[in-house]
Amino acid sequence: MTLQTQNIWNGRIGTVTIGADRAHGGTRTLQYTLGGEQDLAAVGPGATQQRPLIAAEICDDPGIWSPIVNTFMGDTVNDTAGWAGTMESEYHPDIVRLHLTSTRKRNFKDFSGIPETVSGVLKSTGLPLIIEGSNDPSIDSEVYQKCGEASSGERVLLGTAEAGRYRSIAAAAMAYNHCIIAQSPIDINLAKQLNILLKEIGVPYDRILIDPYTGALGYGFEYSYSVMERIRYAALKGDQDLAMTMISAAPDSLNIREVREARDDETDRTAATWEFYTAFSAVIAGASIVCVRHPLAIPLLKSAIDSIWPHSAGREA
Amino acid sequence: MKNVEASIKSGNESLKTKISELAGDLGYEETAYHLPVTYALTGNAVKNADDARSAYQRTGENPFVACECYTASVTAENGKEPAPFTGFLPDADLRKMGYSLVDGSILGLALVAGSPPGADVVAGICRELQEKYMLTFLAGDVVGTLAGSGVKVGAEYRLVPLGSTPLRGIHFVDIIARVAMMFGGVSPGDPDRLISYARERAKAIVIVFPGLNDEEIAFIDALSILGIPILSMGGYEGGNWHLATPENVVREGMDQKGIKVTVTAIPIPMGCSPAFEGKSIRKEEMHVEFGGGRTPAFELLRVRPAADVTDGKITVIGPEIEDVPQGSALPLGIIVEVAGSAMKKEYEPVLERRIHNFVNYGEGSWHVAQRDLVWVRLSKEAVSKGVHIRHIGTLIAAKFRIDFPNLLDAVQVTLITDEQKVKSALLEAQKVYRERDQRIKDLRDTDVDLFYSCTLCQTFAPNHVCIITPERPALCGAITWLDGKTAFEISPSGANQPVPKGEVIDATTGEFEGVNRFVKKASHGEVERCCLYSIMENPMTACGCFECIAVMLPETNGFMIVTREFKGLTPSGMTFSTLAGTIGGGAQTPGFAGVSKNFILSDRFLQAEGGIERLVWMPGQLKEELSERLLKKLSDSGRQEFFDRIADETVTTTIEDLMDFLAKVHHPALDMPALI
Ligand code: SF4
Repeated sequence: MTLQTQNIWNGRIGTVTIGADRAHGGTRTLQYTLGGEQDLAAVGPGATQQRPLIAAEICDDPGIWSPIVNTFMGDTVNDTAGWAGTMESEYHPDIVRLHLTSTRKRNFKDFSGIPETVSGVLKSTGLPLIIEGSNDPSIDSEVYQKCGEASSGERVLLGTAEAGRYRSIAAAAMAYNHCIIAQSPIDINLAKQLNILLKEIGVPYDRILIDPYTGALGYGFEYSYSVMERIRYAALKGDQDLAMTMISAAPDSLNIREVREARDDETDRTAATWEFYTAFSAVIAGASIVCVRHPLAIPLLKSAIDSIWPHSAGREA
Repeated sequence: MKNVEASIKSGNESLKTKISELAGDLGYEETAYHLPVTYALTGNAVKNADDARSAYQRTGENPFVACECYTASVTAENGKEPAPFTGFLPDADLRKMGYSLVDGSILGLALVAGSPPGADVVAGICRELQEKYMLTFLAGDVVGTLAGSGVKVGAEYRLVPLGSTPLRGIHFVDIIARVAMMFGGVSPGDPDRLISYARERAKAIVIVFPGLNDEEIAFIDALSILGIPILSMGGYEGGNWHLATPENVVREGMDQKGIKVTVTAIPIPMGCSPAFEGKSIRKEEMHVEFGGGRTPAFELLRVRPAADVTDGKITVIGPEIEDVPQGSALPLGIIVEVAGSAMKKEYEPVLERRIHNFVNYGEGSWHVAQRDLVWVRLSKEAVSKGVHIRHIGTLIAAKFRIDFPNLLDAVQVTLITDEQKVKSALLEAQKVYRERDQRIKDLRDTDVDLFYSCTLCQTFAPNHVCIITPERPALCGAITWLDGKTAFEISPSGANQPVPKGEVIDATTGEFEGVNRFVKKASHGEVERCCLYSIMENPMTACGCFECIAVMLPETNGFMIVTREFKGLTPSGMTFSTLAGTIGGGAQTPGFAGVSKNFILSDRFLQAEGGIERLVWMPGQLKEELSERLLKKLSDSGRQEFFDRIADETVTTTIEDLMDFLAKVHHPALDMPALI
């Protein structure tokens, strides 16, 4: 199903490659080249339409994670590598997104644990990875250096750069040949500015994905939707500084009242459905990667995406 | 005392001999870049003595190639030097090092070589380098001397002992070459790119103690080709080596290479970010305002000798915030004085225009217009959080240092709020503005192939693009063609870009194929055509910063002009602010245009519509301000009587009376071809 285009655009979204298979110096079983669109999502000629990808989020310290997901997954969450493997074999996402939540603990010092965790996950899944590092500028330098080095050659997507702190992530991306997520707080001008800052310190545009920041559906999602739309319009009208692929994650979907207060036997379904609707709306707004935490959201998303993008052709480079 | 020039000669000779005597295989391990300097310069992988000789020939007997091949050969023969010497660093270490450079945890690289007179001297220098976040490499006797002083060496202390002789300093160069290839996109075999990368991006300095032999001097001197300043601690004369003392050597070197310990947080009690740039402060929200027609106000940026500028010094002359009640209007003079070795006088107007953005970055401060038209407000909320007038200065000074680290070494700001003092400083400022406008007076649009764009105002008018030509200064009056050119020089990826004129589509309306192409792209497809000399047909868009608005008055078959300063009603039936609200925001509005005062005097103004004789009305104050220059322009073409045919508010502010007046004076516009 594609809609007729309503506009003559003169811009094109740049491409970005995530993951490196053996032929490209990595160990992933596949890699993706995203971008290249010349119209809005699900609109216009099919040739430039990329099928959006689903990323399953996991973490290395479930103490800082959704209790709903922890309960659903049971013991698996205590074995990060095993968790990644289970996600791949049982739920079939396109990407695994590893959050190094352990680094968020106060006085985190275990820098040598990071390479272990990362290589464990790289061994247990063949999917391309997104790695989310620390949240604290005082340890960023060390954390991102370790992340970058441990996944060297795998062309992972490193998160998350913001206007005030992007140097370490950018450095890791440049030193170890990875891509980076550039996040701005629901503001097109700030998104553009961050991209320019990154360009100035030497990150090429074909390594950047924009994360416009996403609130949960019903809890501010409309702002994110509108900003994603504006970013895409600007890009299609020729603004090179915004012509990047977008990634969207709305972890707040699991914390909202409707999910928290759902009946016990309804919790998983409500959580997964809420994540699904938020993520699917983000897909329509133009996101090329959407991230979810509840495993049951993945099949829902898959079938919805299949209904619009029946072919997966072209997405594997 | 060694003579540098003489030593280079004989040094190169003996390097040449060394190369001719090379034998066997050579190469480093754990690198994908072979002998990195030679590889970067020639694109060839040197594997044996013959390769080395041919590379040496091909590079015109480059001393780096000689040192590198020789060092590699010695290493191949005798193995690596024992600890603590590191010798050649593997690529993996380089990635980490490059990481720290991009990351900002290392600010630059230093090489220290030679035989220091004593442990204390070199220990002091190395400590200072550590404190200033420099990664320091050591080669030669300096390593031993340092060890004797108890200073710990090793990568973890940011003091890397490369080798036992100064020639091992070649590893410092192979590091720079590899960083250029890994991070800088420099391809092997492209020596020009390598040199320009090293000059612009590699933040490196070298400090030499006495005792180098001729070969070593030839090697060290070659570093200057890479733009690396050579600081001598004595013992050498001649060459481009700068004599320094142990006390000032680190600072001198860092200054010369423009390596700066950066300012990050701005110490003011309000938020400061481009995110706040679009917000405005309404009258009800304001605590105090400056200028905007209520009081005299201006801003001026000047370059001064370094000795006259104290970085970060903020002075307020006149009342501070607590001396005036809420809702007041104070006069204001913003005088920004800057110093920097790379700073030029031509850059003044370009930097001055940034004051506008910087003040708007403040969460509770707001700024419009430029030069002696500025209008600044501080919000009640900000003042209740402790913001003072002096904080505007702190903000401006810090932002200049952060945004122009390579240009400015020191910035001080004086804020005058005393009415008399503002008035007298204003006269001085106006003189400077006039001089700046004078510089561009004789340049014509036909003399140049490039115009310049400005998209600074896209923060609030997202599709607006100013095209600035020698004869059409920016509508805000603050940027001339020369300024655009300068701004592009200062920051090549900034808001001012060169715009090739391309084919002339219509010389009368000022339509150029290159300009159209540029405007379409920069306006994100919104504006397809832009006629630089016309107001009726595809005029330039207006952002909101215009000094004046030119408006077509259909009844008169002519145009009127109103300035930002003029507060009353005009014959169009609207005031300046109503008109500004109608045409601003980056839209193209035929019949209306934002223009600068100086553009009115240009032959290109209204060229498509028949020229200055279309002018029917302007405020008396503007007429007076332009009178001298306008009368000269008119009398040069024998039309001086036209001056009195332009009405002002003393004649009328209604369209009916204006029509009567025009008929009475036989205004030429009445007989010109109909505008619509
Ligand atoms: S008015 Fe035009 S020239 Fe002046 S700052 Fe704004 S965009 Fe630049």
